[in-house]
Amino acid sequence: MDDHKPIDTPDGPAVDTPGIGARRYETPPTDGPITEAEAARAAGLAHNEHLKIASGYLRGGLADGLLKHATGAISEDDGQLVKFHGMYMQDDRDIRAERTKKKLEKAYSFMIRLRIAGGVVTPKQWLILDNIATTYAGNALRATTRQTFQYHGVIKSNLKRTMAAIDSALLDTIAACGDVNRNVMAATNPAQAGAHKVALQLAKDISDTLLPKTGAWREIWLDGERVVGGEDAAEVEPVYGKTYLPRKFKTVVAVPPSNEVDIFAHDLGFIAILDKKNRVTGWNVTVGGGMGMTHGETDTFPRTADVLGFVKPEDALKAAEAVMTVQRDWGNRKNRKNARLKYTIERFGLDAFRAEVEKRIGKKLGEPKPFTFDGNGDRYGWVEGDDGRYHLTLYVPSGRIKDIDGGPQFLSGLRRIAEVHEGDFRLTGNQNVIIANVPAGKRAEIDALVDEYGLTKGASAIRRSSLACVALPTCGLALAESERYLPDLLTELEESLARHGLQDEEITIRSTGCPNGCARPFISEIGLVGRGPERYHLYLGAAFDGSRLSKLYREDVPASEIKDTLEPLFAAYAKDRQPGEHFGDFVIRAGFVAKTGNGPDFHERTGPLRGA
Amino acid sequence: MAPTMSRQALLPRTAPFGDQERAHLDAALGAATPIQRAWLTGFLAGLDAAAGQPAAAAAAPAAPPKAAEPLTILFASESGNSEKLAGDVGKLARKQGFKPKIVDFADLDLATLPKAGKLIAIVATWGEGEPPARAVRAYGELMGDAAPRLEGVEFGVLALGDTSYAEFCAIGKALDARFEALGAKRAYDRADLDLDFDKPAAEWIKGALKALAPTDAPADNVVAVDFRAGAEDEDGEVSREPVVVEVIDHVNLNSSRSDKETIHLALEFEDGAPAYEPGDSLEIFPENDPQLVDEILRATGLSGDEGLRRALLAERDITTLSPTTVERFAKATGHADAQKFVESGEVKAWIEGRHLIDLIERFPAKLTAEHLNTVTRPLPPRAYSIASSRKEVRDEVHLTIAAVRYETHGRARSGVASVHVADRIANGAKLRVRVKPNKHFRLPSDPSTDIIMVGPGTGVAPFRAFVQERRATEAPGRSWLFFGDRHFTHDFLYQLEWQDALEDGSLAKIDVAFSRDQPEKIYVQDRIDQNAAEVVAWLDGGAHFYVCGDAKNMAKDVRAAVVRAFESVKGLSHADAEAHIASLERTKRYQQDVY
Repeated sequence: MDDHKPIDTPDGPAVDTPGIGARRYETPPTDGPITEAEAARAAGLAHNEHLKIASGYLRGGLADGLLKHATGAISEDDGQLVKFHGMYMQDDRDIRAERTKKKLEKAYSFMIRLRIAGGVVTPKQWLILDNIATTYAGNALRATTRQTFQYHGVIKSNLKRTMAAIDSALLDTIAACGDVNRNVMAATNPAQAGAHKVALQLAKDISDTLLPKTGAWREIWLDGERVVGGEDAAEVEPVYGKTYLPRKFKTVVAVPPSNEVDIFAHDLGFIAILDKKNRVTGWNVTVGGGMGMTHGETDTFPRTADVLGFVKPEDALKAAEAVMTVQRDWGNRKNRKNARLKYTIERFGLDAFRAEVEKRIGKKLGEPKPFTFDGNGDRYGWVEGDDGRYHLTLYVPSGRIKDIDGGPQFLSGLRRIAEVHEGDFRLTGNQNVIIANVPAGKRAEIDALVDEYGLTKGASAIRRSSLACVALPTCGLALAESERYLPDLLTELEESLARHGLQDEEITIRSTGCPNGCARPFISEIGLVGRGPERYHLYLGAAFDGSRLSKLYREDVPASEIKDTLEPLFAAYAKDRQPGEHFGDFVIRAGFVAKTGNGPDFHERTGPLRGA
Repeated sequence: MAPTMSRQALLPRTAPFGDQERAHLDAALGAATPIQRAWLTGFLAGLDAAAGQPAAAAAAPAAPPKAAEPLTILFASESGNSEKLAGDVGKLARKQGFKPKIVDFADLDLATLPKAGKLIAIVATWGEGEPPARAVRAYGELMGDAAPRLEGVEFGVLALGDTSYAEFCAIGKALDARFEALGAKRAYDRADLDLDFDKPAAEWIKGALKALAPTDAPADNVVAVDFRAGAEDEDGEVSREPVVVEVIDHVNLNSSRSDKETIHLALEFEDGAPAYEPGDSLEIFPENDPQLVDEILRATGLSGDEGLRRALLAERDITTLSPTTVERFAKATGHADAQKFVESGEVKAWIEGRHLIDLIERFPAKLTAEHLNTVTRPLPPRAYSIASSRKEVRDEVHLTIAAVRYETHGRARSGVASVHVADRIANGAKLRVRVKPNKHFRLPSDPSTDIIMVGPGTGVAPFRAFVQERRATEAPGRSWLFFGDRHFTHDFLYQLEWQDALEDGSLAKIDVAFSRDQPEKIYVQDRIDQNAAEVVAWLDGGAHFYVCGDAKNMAKDVRAAVVRAFESVKGLSHADAEAHIASLERTKRYQQDVY
């Protein structure tokens, strides 16, 4: 089980990866952030860079666009800016074809994503969020893969009302998307109440510190007054400046042994180093993970994060800011497909990157401390915390909190629970919901409501280990179905697994409609990535704990053949696996598929290595 | 009455006319163009020649002919039917020696009524027993305490209505009683006519004119001169003959997620579209639902009669149920229970929301084709506001038709024409249609005048025509549209076209109200409230204001919002603001086409 060893040499995996020689690194830039003049000179900058410069700290034409009553859209440029405000403009692709004939524009609406550091909300907040869902967002709340909620289908004329309602819950959507530090995730691990508290606090502190400071959000959505003056970047955006980051930036905080936040898939991560009493003594800092890539472009690839070093608790915030500002200054602003931190580290090398971070923190990082993860899934059912409180993790298929016809009534059931619950709710990175901090005496009442609304139905081992992104019909990037397809595939796979006695085997499976990787498909043991209608690339061989990437096993598999493609592998796994061996490790050991290192070798030696 | 005072008199005092007649002739001839005078010269000579009299003989001194009898023809019209009949009365009256004066209720000055002498009122009843919108003011005054006495006035009332509404001809009936109460003498009994009024109206007009004619002036003695005869067409009106057209586009404008269905219909006229104007309507001659026809045939034991089936499909109104229908049914069938029902006084309540088929099912009886013919009325055409301008669509007419479907008393019901169009008409199908002009819904004659258009739902149809027309003519006036429906995403009729119009400037502004997109209902009148200052500024700048669509609530609510706007923006009292809008209506700057 060598794959479960901690990654203790920062750039280690690259060295022993077949097909990849010693990496050549560019000389790091010596200057600070790009200046406005520099940006203007640089004709080669990505369009979004010019947009950011011209936007007046993310205002652009948004306020005017909201007043254009004949269209449900905003301009293309504002569509880029609005991401920084937590929104994506989308359209209902299911009915795209009929629209022009009916003299209607595309069925535009907005996806609104909240910023909820650590994914913790109070019952009172839950009720407000529920009310928004039923009023403006098609009776659904969606728990995302990054521990927050998003709404779908909010039309332009309702945006301001929705934002005002979110504000009334003391929440916001600032920087939930866009080229900024997005929602900061934190371990939910309810059994370790103390460590969770510390992790959550760090997540909140990072979220607050790295939050854009522009008044644009309040001004545009809440009719807040524009503060006069303050056009100086150092005043308005002391950390980001006018151009923010080159690309999105995602931060997580993990508490071993659970890797539920998928730390290796993120730009920046903090792994809690615990003493014997489960107290946090400091953090291993990880950098350079990320999922997104582009089909057919092998210089784009997913990458697992490197462990950069160790920081004491008091230095964690400084470290976060330093990592982000180095990426701000070193990241590629000419090509957005090469702009994430993972590519910056590939270009300049981990050592150079670390040196710059240390310079900015003003002290050396310590050697990484040992840690062990045992998986990246959730612990379902009731768990007792070390503070004597109880926590119930509910499986929510694809995070879609809604009432399903003839099935679980997630929206109504959780609303009822929110009305009586005295603790809090936690969203997990696996799109699930934890009813947390329940006193022992309240458990029965919660259980009764869970039963009444059918909230624990239909969760086999593989289903509980599944993730799916939204994809069609709302996501503009989707090439194939995901959330609407995966449940059916799981039903097929459940039969297949049962045939081989594997029904209780937890095998992580994730699907996305495109290679941008919202559901982190490249670090699940079975990964499906949309290529076109009903066609998927099938990836295998990632580590169960999320520490190793998968490998492309079969290209363009028709949806109808996925089960048959996996069936012989399940058969072999049932027959030949070693005790405790996970499926992702087995397919490599048995020689079905090549092992991937930490990323640049992702596109090497693809395809089946032997017949199944 | 001295129109010639300031003008040089043409006719010498010695001319064989009375003073008043001389003054009139002076007025007419003085204003006439040289061409008109030349025409008159030839016309009079020809007239006399035809009568076999030498022109000189006419000049021979004779007893002056009796002055023509003045006749006031008052009409209250919503859809234009009463107005058209008023024109018919005028023509015939002139032939019979009257001096007719046609007065729109909207323009009626009550003080002139006592001097009317002879009066014919043609009055439509609208909606649930209401006067046509334009007639509301004068009707209110006439029914009020300040109405003048009408002793010495002789009158007849022709009432128009629709038996499918509860208060059939209510306004006609009320006026008829009111004239009498004010001291006028009923010279001819009122007739209450349904949608198939053509023939009975012609008969009534003949009778009424005869009754109103002065006894000492036999009609034969009067030279029948129709000064308008020979003009190419009445008021340049387009032909009333139905034409068969081809459907070249048939699209449901609502999204597949909508619970509404609004058909955009493009019709092509093989020999060029008739000369319709933006604001006009097109009447469609629909066919009934074949399933309903078969149901009725089965219920009456008449299945198999193909001729009758065809007649019921295309010629008879087989849905409308009125007290008259019930009476005729009881009489025709001799059904004892039906007869008892008629006498019970429960008919009016029972027919609410019911159709003929319900009656037949309640009182099963074997019927003959003749019975059905007696019980039903002819199937009337349905008028829809035209949604296109000839200047843009050439040989086509476009319509915007909402499919009417609902359920009452456990039975699915549908609008005859709208569902005929929605369900049984497709591209390539033929329809029989004719243009129905609406002179009271017209773009300003000055193209630089601004216009405000309020047209939620299918009420937007004529405004599509307006915008097309103003784009084609490059009218410099600004156009502002208020549109509304249920859902922005699924019910925004012609959305892409409005976007284009905003782009090319033929639409200056659009405000939209979608009632079901948010918890509280938002309607067009709310948008008018929100834009009160600008609406007032446009109107003060001379803008014309148009409302099209639902008469029951929307048109009233919009009018109230405009009144409110003047109150709030200009600080007017409610009465003053009301009077201001009324004056806009009188000067035809506030026009409605409501249904």
